[in-house]
Amino acid sequence: MYSAEISRKNPGCFIFLLDQSASMEDPFGGSADRKKADELATIINKLLHNLSIRCAKGDSIYDYFHVAVIGYGQDTVVKSAWDGAMTGKDLVPISELANNPLRIEDRVKKADDGNGGLVEQSVKFPLWFEARHAGGTPMSSAFKMAAEIVQRWVAEHPKGFPPIVINITDGESTDGDPVPEAKALCSLGSDDGATLVFNIHLSSESGNPIELPASDEGLPDKFAKQLFEMSSALTPFMIGRAKELGMPAGDGARGFVFNAQPVQVIQFLDIGTRPANLR
Amino acid sequence: MIDALHPVTTAPFSIEAFSCQKAGNARTEYEDAWAIRGSDSPTRCRVAIADGATESSFSALWAALLVESFVRGRSHGPEFFRHLGAIRRLWRGKVRGRPLPWYAAEKAKKGAYAAFVGLSLNAVNRAWRAVAIGDCCLFQVTGLPPNLELAHTFPLSHSEEFGSSPFLVGSVKKAEDDPLPHVRVSEGVLQGNDGLYFASDALAAWLLRRSEKGEPVWNAISPDGIRTEKDFEALVAQAREEGTRNDDMTLIRLTRRAAWERGAG
Repeated sequence: MYSAEISRKNPGCFIFLLDQSASMEDPFGGSADRKKADELATIINKLLHNLSIRCAKGDSIYDYFHVAVIGYGQDTVVKSAWDGAMTGKDLVPISELANNPLRIEDRVKKADDGNGGLVEQSVKFPLWFEARHAGGTPMSSAFKMAAEIVQRWVAEHPKGFPPIVINITDGESTDGDPVPEAKALCSLGSDDGATLVFNIHLSSESGNPIELPASDEGLPDKFAKQLFEMSSALTPFMIGRAKELGMPAGDGARGFVFNAQPVQVIQFLDIGTRPANLR
Repeated sequence: MIDALHPVTTAPFSIEAFSCQKAGNARTEYEDAWAIRGSDSPTRCRVAIADGATESSFSALWAALLVESFVRGRSHGPEFFRHLGAIRRLWRGKVRGRPLPWYAAEKAKKGAYAAFVGLSLNAVNRAWRAVAIGDCCLFQVTGLPPNLELAHTFPLSHSEEFGSSPFLVGSVKKAEDDPLPHVRVSEGVLQGNDGLYFASDALAAWLLRRSEKGEPVWNAISPDGIRTEKDFEALVAQAREEGTRNDDMTLIRLTRRAAWERGAG
């Protein structure tokens, strides 16, 4: 289980569910000047950028992954978050994504000069969607939409690595209990295993995150326990990657981070988007 | 010593290479590389094999430049990795000359990576010296068929040593990527009918795994076991059926020519 090779014939499928409700306008992790919505949009756009580069090969790009980003909020609307040429599409191959950003910004980053120093290097920073924050938190509907995409996907890729769905939210669902919808999503899968559902809860305060718990003991409230219940166990490959990053990941660790600060979101997305080695 | 006392008119060794790309990939996507020089020389011979990393871009080009530079050069120790500047410039020149979309340009900036083994053999006294980075392997095999045995393995010795993330030599100079602390060197002398076999990592791991189980794997890859590319493809298919990672596979075989073949008999 969870050992299928990721190749162009059997690509991986990532679906990101992003909370775009009004509360995402609040500061992230106690930072006064960064809204959660802005920070999350930056993190996910950067992740899409990294995934594109991971799949680049020579002067081309291999479709190792297909990706959807679903936003929920916006007056209880659930829809694909893509802006620009991909508006209206949900799951797209990475080559289509890489070739159709909303815009590409030129940014400057510090890079190793090869002699122990740093040199400023110009990098292309593509964006595929803008930050949004409005309305309620229709999380149940978001899981339902993910299940529709997953159903299509596993019918077409019955032997591939199962889809990975990562939900990122800062609050409770406003359209009913999302647990049955998340469980229904997990009941779909391929010959290689059930769909993996992971959850990241964003904190408004600076405080201690709870990372990759193996049980719900120590979780502060019903909402946290609900997200735990909705989260799949990490695969052995992901546990290995979590340990490499210095995160506490024991046997039975679930793909769940509560009270995440930006750094935990970035680390968890790195772990959750590494199904296995690429061919 | 026989060769030194009675110099022969043609090379005392026969060198053959077999290769196979990942299952499901096109031949043009093969990212291992190998090079041989002096195979027609009675006194010296240089062989190199490299395995371009799948996760990096333009790694087939990097692997090819490394092996070609090694066999055309004279260094046979760690100094080869001290003078990578010219090879890196060649790689950069070939990559920069292309119009690339943003993702390909960003990936190329990260550089290409490869595992490498290079060997120089003095065909007169039959002493060899090898230098390696990463998990491509060299095996010295001794005895006569069908009782061939492993005499020496370099740089990895056990099948469990494969599978982690080995240090690989990069096409872009980075402070944290200095290859010199990771270079391994080994030396040996060929006795009797000893042969040298070079293998890229997935094949090397499979050979060692079978050898550890006491299976006659060295006969299987000897000139009696593999005569044609088709024989090699059958061996690769067997390795993959037994769960070996789907990877490019390359085997180079350096064996002693029969005396009658060399015209010395």
